[in-house]
Amino acid sequence: MSAASMKAGQAARRWPTLAEAFAGEGRAWLFVAKSLLALYLAAWLAMWLRLEQPSTTMITVAIVMHPHSGMVLAKSFYRAIGTLCGSAFGLALMCVFPQQRELFLLCLSLWVALCAGGATLYRNFMSYGFVLAGYTAAIVALPAIAHPLEVFDSALMRVSEVMLGIVVAGVVSDAVFPGRLRLVLRQNARAHFAHFIDFVRGSTGGSIPRAEMEQAHLRFVRAAVQLEDLRASVIFEDPEVRARSTRMRLLNQHNMAAATSFQSLHHLINRLQREGRAAEVDALIALYRPLGAALTTPAAADLHEPAVLAPRLRECARRLPALAAELRAGLAPGHAQLAFDTGDTLLRRFLDELCGYVEVELALRGRLLRGSVERVHFRRGNDATGALVAVLRTFLTMTTLSAFWIASGWPFGSSAMLLATIFSGLFAALPNPLSSAFTMLVGYAAGMLAGIYAAFWLLPGSDGFAMLVAVTLPLLLIGPWLNAHAELAGVGGGYAIGIVYIMALKNPMAYDPVHALNDAIAQLAGVALAAAAFVFVPRVTGSGWQRRRQVRRLREQVVLAATAPLAGLPWRFESVSRDLFHQVIVHTRPGSRPSRELLGWALAVQESGRALIELRQQLRADPAPVDVGRQVDAAVQAMAQLYRRPDAMHRQQAEDAVRAAIDACAARPALRPRLYQLLGALRDDESPLAAWTPSMEPAHAP
Amino acid sequence: MPREIAFSDVLVPGLLPIFVGCLLLMWLVDSLVGRYGLYRYVWHPPLFRLALFGSLFGLAGLLLLR
Repeated sequence: MSAASMKAGQAARRWPTLAEAFAGEGRAWLFVAKSLLALYLAAWLAMWLRLEQPSTTMITVAIVMHPHSGMVLAKSFYRAIGTLCGSAFGLALMCVFPQQRELFLLCLSLWVALCAGGATLYRNFMSYGFVLAGYTAAIVALPAIAHPLEVFDSALMRVSEVMLGIVVAGVVSDAVFPGRLRLVLRQNARAHFAHFIDFVRGSTGGSIPRAEMEQAHLRFVRAAVQLEDLRASVIFEDPEVRARSTRMRLLNQHNMAAATSFQSLHHLINRLQREGRAAEVDALIALYRPLGAALTTPAAADLHEPAVLAPRLRECARRLPALAAELRAGLAPGHAQLAFDTGDTLLRRFLDELCGYVEVELALRGRLLRGSVERVHFRRGNDATGALVAVLRTFLTMTTLSAFWIASGWPFGSSAMLLATIFSGLFAALPNPLSSAFTMLVGYAAGMLAGIYAAFWLLPGSDGFAMLVAVTLPLLLIGPWLNAHAELAGVGGGYAIGIVYIMALKNPMAYDPVHALNDAIAQLAGVALAAAAFVFVPRVTGSGWQRRRQVRRLREQVVLAATAPLAGLPWRFESVSRDLFHQVIVHTRPGSRPSRELLGWALAVQESGRALIELRQQLRADPAPVDVGRQVDAAVQAMAQLYRRPDAMHRQQAEDAVRAAIDACAARPALRPRLYQLLGALRDDESPLAAWTPSMEPAHAP
Repeated sequence: MPREIAFSDVLVPGLLPIFVGCLLLMWLVDSLVGRYGLYRYVWHPPLFRLALFGSLFGLAGLLLLR
């Protein structure tokens, strides 16, 4: 509960439930006021500019409005691109098949289907651009189907109307009491920074229990994906954030890399501890202790202050080699020193990445940015099969509707097609399409009823724009109000589109109840068919089949780490593996068996993949003699083979290959720790690979 | 500058290219100002940006279509 609502709760202690019910209402009503302002402004401008259908402008506003202005601007940007592409395609289609309705509808269906597929590939507002590209092609081409010669004018009108709506929505939401997404981003980024630093500081005591490690990984991955999503929207809202965008990406990448190294280090310590090798564990913890000291600043206020932390960490990194040499001398040569070297390498890597992370954070908090930094990208793990299924489903919907339209000669077939286009695209990108489709359908029907009531009972008696506002305001404000409440947003979205669509405001207004009712029925049929298609071609996201496939893809990230070209690979590996993991984990119940299994694989993939990349980079920077290189390559390939097809035989082969490589690298002290880390990951009795580990063998003898 | 331009035989208002040009110019100004954090000295940055764009577009339109 926020501070404001707490205060309200004290003031109205007599009716605590009332105060609770009204918590957050202020923001909701601000949003309602902004939405209505934008809607009426758009309608007035569209009428003033003598556009053909002011309702298209109003629908655009109804779809685009969102409480955060960054969201609106991002949505508008992609919507503008989608509109231009879609109208160009609609125009081209009309020119190619003016008299061939079968081919025309087939091509249109294919285009809409491809756009819906594209919408599922992206998770931010780019997906929205795809929906719009399909929808605009339909609204440009379908109304002109009976008069092909007018298609150009129609296209011009639709594009002007949509663009006007976008501009009005953007200006109103950005200039009138803007809800700043930047503040959310900054708050999240700082909270995550503080959290990460706290976690590192809190775990200097030694081993971390497996469950805690899994939870931390889950949290870090969520934060990484969420920050990237926010960043992609905020750059439209704030030029300052846009200027910092490259650094924010770099920050996220440093953070992901540091988290992986940190986990690897702790896996190693945990393994050593389980094997009962106290001397190495103690030495590593002693080596690790200065880091905890560096993060514990004398003043409590500085605990999360990068300006204080950065020099302390650099100093710590400078002192580390001397301390490592001292501790190493205290261990028995051979196996113990190798284990220590591995931990030492990991700790240095971690410290280096942590320094980078803190320094980029420091630069971001500064007022002025100097110089330029490396450009990195957060790569997404997109699922082509899911997109193909969406393409197939939408194609079926559209061709069914087209066939029905052609066969029945239904005069309102184009309305049904249009609505099916909009909602196929919108539904395809939703997490739970069937139930959301139903709530949206309910909202849509309610909106249409309200629209019919307004158009045929209220509007005929009113005169002038002021009266129009007065009579439609009470009905129109329901949509944005529902939208402002997250649990009702589906109904609100449907309502807002439905009422504006069926009211079909025009100047001068045209009253045709028969047309409106026929249109309403056709539109409902279109929405219902788009929803019904999910019964016949179910969505793959969240199904067990897709989960298994995505876990396999997650494992294949290790194959990629072993085989892909090295340039840019570390960044790509860190972001794709996290994005994939994040996609799967949202569909599993926390604590359930699939969820635990997935977490196990995610941690194993993170550790092995990163170790393989480090190994390959080391080999490239400092080429080994041919026979040694061949052994190391064989180990890398064996690891790839194992993750491609995990079973006992491949695990054994990988272990043998890694052991052979460690033996071959006796004279290469830089390669051995990395190989030893791989061996440890293979033999980890808490990783999913443990299922194929023969348990009777002695734990160590490299 | 003519009031209407034939763009591959389609007449578009002369203001359209000016508008697009102003958008590009605005984008450039915006990233420069954002880079140096100058928007912090402004009370309401979005309103300021809007007004800046309005002035740019108005000025360019008046000068070029005089």
